[in-house]
Amino acid sequence: MVMDMRTCVGCQACMAACTAENQTPFWNEKFRTHVEDKAEGIFPDVRRVLLPRLCMHCENTPCLTACPTGATYMTEDGIVKVNYDRCIGCYACCIACPYDARYAYDGEDVKKEEEVYGKFTSHDQPHVDKCTFCDHRVSEGREPACVSTCPTHTRIFGDLDDPESEVHKLATSGKAQALNPQLGTSPKVFYIPS
Amino acid sequence: MTFVHQEVWHWQIATYLFLGGLGGATFAISALIHLFEGCDRKMLSIAVMSSIGFLVLGTIFLLADMLQPLKAIYALTNPSSWIFWGVIFINFYFIAAIAYVIPLLEVWPKLLPIIKKIPTGILSLLERFNNLAALVGSAAGFLVAIYTGLLISAAPAISFWNTPALPLLFVISGFSTGAAFLLLLSTFSNNEESWKIAAKLEELDAILIVTELIILGAYFNFALFLPTGARESAQVLFHSPVFIIGFFILGLIVPLAIETHGIFFADHTKKSRSLLMAASIFVLVGGFLLRYYVLKAGLYQFPW
Repeated sequence: MVMDMRTCVGCQACMAACTAENQTPFWNEKFRTHVEDKAEGIFPDVRRVLLPRLCMHCENTPCLTACPTGATYMTEDGIVKVNYDRCIGCYACCIACPYDARYAYDGEDVKKEEEVYGKFTSHDQPHVDKCTFCDHRVSEGREPACVSTCPTHTRIFGDLDDPESEVHKLATSGKAQALNPQLGTSPKVFYIPS
Repeated sequence: MTFVHQEVWHWQIATYLFLGGLGGATFAISALIHLFEGCDRKMLSIAVMSSIGFLVLGTIFLLADMLQPLKAIYALTNPSSWIFWGVIFINFYFIAAIAYVIPLLEVWPKLLPIIKKIPTGILSLLERFNNLAALVGSAAGFLVAIYTGLLISAAPAISFWNTPALPLLFVISGFSTGAAFLLLLSTFSNNEESWKIAAKLEELDAILIVTELIILGAYFNFALFLPTGARESAQVLFHSPVFIIGFFILGLIVPLAIETHGIFFADHTKKSRSLLMAASIFVLVGGFLLRYYVLKAGLYQFPW
């Protein structure tokens, strides 16, 4: 995924779309994606920076290394996912993640989810939750919910390995950069600074 | 750049880390006393039984903090995770500790009927390999104690934790709490032999505290001169009166002073005994406070 920070307006439609699509516990302010709203610089030379963020689906994955149960795994497409049946909720992954991309979907949230979403729930047991790049949509040829909702084309999704894809071209254009590259995590989300 | 306090691991995990270090080190030191100083079966059986108790209690705290403790067995899946190794070390420890302590328990008449139920073949085997169990046990105890530090140092974004100094600090502090606990036990004994052991433990604990001070110095020197979350964390600790007074002054400096006084000037009177008890309790409370505050001062450094 590439984030074009030049176009983000901070509408948070991505957060809403993700919440609805993935039934995240918004009642406890837990989201799989966020939009950071920051001020940068020293007065009078200041500006507002909007930085949408989610799981970076790192190639060198600290959360996967820390997970003792193998609940965290990487699919063939390079998406980092959690197998809810295996997760014991030890939080080692939350401690290891350098991008604040994980949170606990605890027992209370599971109950509340039923109240809010009725029968059609996707989190049947407590576990640590995170972004899946909406792989259930991607496998049907659709874009992740946050991407298809974004009205300003800030979020651009595709196959990084396909040299013809827009994400590949942007990611290798020299303009895009990863967050905290010094940690050596090789994120699969790139940012074009505003 | 944003620094955010970790809100994931709280006092339950601090208690687990404390009890893990204490339990591991108590057994390791007991086993070494057995090997090098001879075996006071009564003292050592109390010490090892308590160390097993500490670890059982610690494991309960860990499980209680999990979302799905009943699935904990799955933790034996991924060898690249420190928790995987923690489970191995703790089980290795339990097996060694139980194998070691069973022959020792024969000195307690009330426990004899239970021990007699164990087949004599197994019992004589345990008796025969008691020294080996002590040797293996000291390694297992060490591994459990150092694991508590390795576990939390695997956090790339929490630069205060992600240092080689943290496992060292935790293992030395763990052994210091273990020595202090054994010292506390030995102050209850009136037997001449256990006073000799107490004097050795006093020396050991003083050496461990000095080592801990050196590591702390190196650790904070590293943290304070690094423009990262580590510096923020160190400053959080410097501004926590309970950390400075409770851990640093009462948990390290005061016990070191009492023990140094004990080593060089004191004869073993009732007065020095109560001072030693105070020093041991201070070290134990300090050991808990260290882990509690290190967890509390864990700051993520996020790139936004």
